[in-house]
Amino acid sequence: MAEIGNYLEGEVAEDVRLQLEHHLSHCQTCTVLVDSTRKTLKIVTDTGAFDLPDATFRPIAERIMTRVRSEGK
Amino acid sequence: MLRLRGITEQRLDHIVADYQKANLAPATRAVLRFTLKLVASDLSISREDMREASSEGLTDESLLEAILTAALSGLLCMLSTGVGAVPDFALHSIPPPEHFLTVPGDESPATDEKSGFNLYAPELNAGDFAPFVFFREQFSSVPSVFLAQTRRPDILEAEAHAIRALLVAGDHLSRTQKERLLLAGEHSKADLGASDGALLNFTKKLSVDAEEFSISDIQALRERGFTEHQILEAVATRALACFFNVLQAGLGSTPDFGARWTCKPAELKTVAKKAHLSASDQRHTGIIRPVDPDGECVARVQRGDLDAFEELMNRHSQRVYRTLVGILGDQDDARDAMQDTFLKVFQHLARFEGRSKFSTWLVSIATNTGIQRLREQRPMESLDETGSDEEGFRPRQVQAWTDDPEQLYSEAEMRSLIESGLMKLPAKYRVVVMLRDIEQLSAEDAAVVLGLGIPALKARLLRGRLMLREALAPRFISSGRKGSMKGAII
Repeated sequence: MAEIGNYLEGEVAEDVRLQLEHHLSHCQTCTVLVDSTRKTLKIVTDTGAFDLPDATFRPIAERIMTRVRSEGK
Repeated sequence: MLRLRGITEQRLDHIVADYQKANLAPATRAVLRFTLKLVASDLSISREDMREASSEGLTDESLLEAILTAALSGLLCMLSTGVGAVPDFALHSIPPPEHFLTVPGDESPATDEKSGFNLYAPELNAGDFAPFVFFREQFSSVPSVFLAQTRRPDILEAEAHAIRALLVAGDHLSRTQKERLLLAGEHSKADLGASDGALLNFTKKLSVDAEEFSISDIQALRERGFTEHQILEAVATRALACFFNVLQAGLGSTPDFGARWTCKPAELKTVAKKAHLSASDQRHTGIIRPVDPDGECVARVQRGDLDAFEELMNRHSQRVYRTLVGILGDQDDARDAMQDTFLKVFQHLARFEGRSKFSTWLVSIATNTGIQRLREQRPMESLDETGSDEEGFRPRQVQAWTDDPEQLYSEAEMRSLIESGLMKLPAKYRVVVMLRDIEQLSAEDAAVVLGLGIPALKARLLRGRLMLREALAPRFISSGRKGSMKGAII
């Protein structure tokens, strides 16, 4: 099944890809699995989860730079 | 190495064709002649060779560096041959030197009368010097090849580190198997089982008949049940033995390592071969480093420009934050750990030498900071377990998803769903998904910062994605279509 992961990444050898796609053509279970995992991947990549808002980051950056400037002297 | 020094191909061709006539500085020509003699003549260096090199202005320090470089070259060549690495450069065949200076009957190359070594080696207090303490622990005494290098304690530390990593920490082959490979057949085959005998033959071929070494030799070990990790350890152990073999010959020390098989560093075959060992991400050796987009800014910080540090921090704050959320699973904790991370980065930046990209180094520090914090706060939750990645995972959500799930929710709702789904994952899967799918680190970089091999990283990534898919599925299934996953084990 590691090949499913490689398939999602587009990293399988041509013969393995053909075998997998042949299997997917008649296996609803695996088709659902591959399709929904691919969609999961796209959603995760597109959403930009856990963005650190600038308003949250600024005070942290200021604290760090205060320490850095005192250590850098 | 000459290419890295900016020597043009044309100039290189000239040097390789006949270095004697290549208008090289006398000292450079002398180093080349000495090194070629060492590696191209069955590792035989005579007293006359040492005298001639000295008379041409080579100091003991530069001769030691030449011997170390030749040994390192042997190690790299054997590793490359063993794993079938694709050469980074077109390769030239370097002809042997025109004349060898060995005088019959004058084979003993003792220039340091007291120690018998070819080069003077000042005495070091073995009781205080950590590498010597380590060597004594491992080999009961300090092998003479190390005593012959006391002029370079930094190199001895690196050699101790390599032995520790391979012989002590590496656990795919047994210690006995690795010692056997390192000492090159100190056991008769009758003492060995069929598998160990095959392993010994494999490394012997790699050492003495590298031109004939091929993927079929790797395949033969696989068929005997050796794993990729074991084969890699075997290749690396022999490469280390080759390194010490060249050193012993150059330094004139007692042959403690690999003496039974004289391993001439094989030339890499010029035909690019497919890698012998499985590594789906083709790792390049890093001989040609890509330009680091942060390099200029890092250099400014190293010159004391603190504003440049702020710029680096602004560039990478999201990446550090997401790495820490991935490990800690808590946004408040991640913000605290972020401060620790950047302070550590600042404190160590003076010693950053650019061996990796700055961003990779930075994420490694964030990862270590996060792991340390996780251990302190939640010792039960760990990134270290490896076994369960290989076990079956049974998907429960079996229905097909709607065609365009991103249309079902607003951006903010979608982000909240993903964040909540990610938070439900165990840390070791969450961090891999964060680094690969959100931060878009390459598999190689993510594996490096997490201290994982590529296969382990990929196994965790697949598992993490499947678990996240499972968590999100109830939100995205399309009505009226149901599948069945009974019996499906991933």
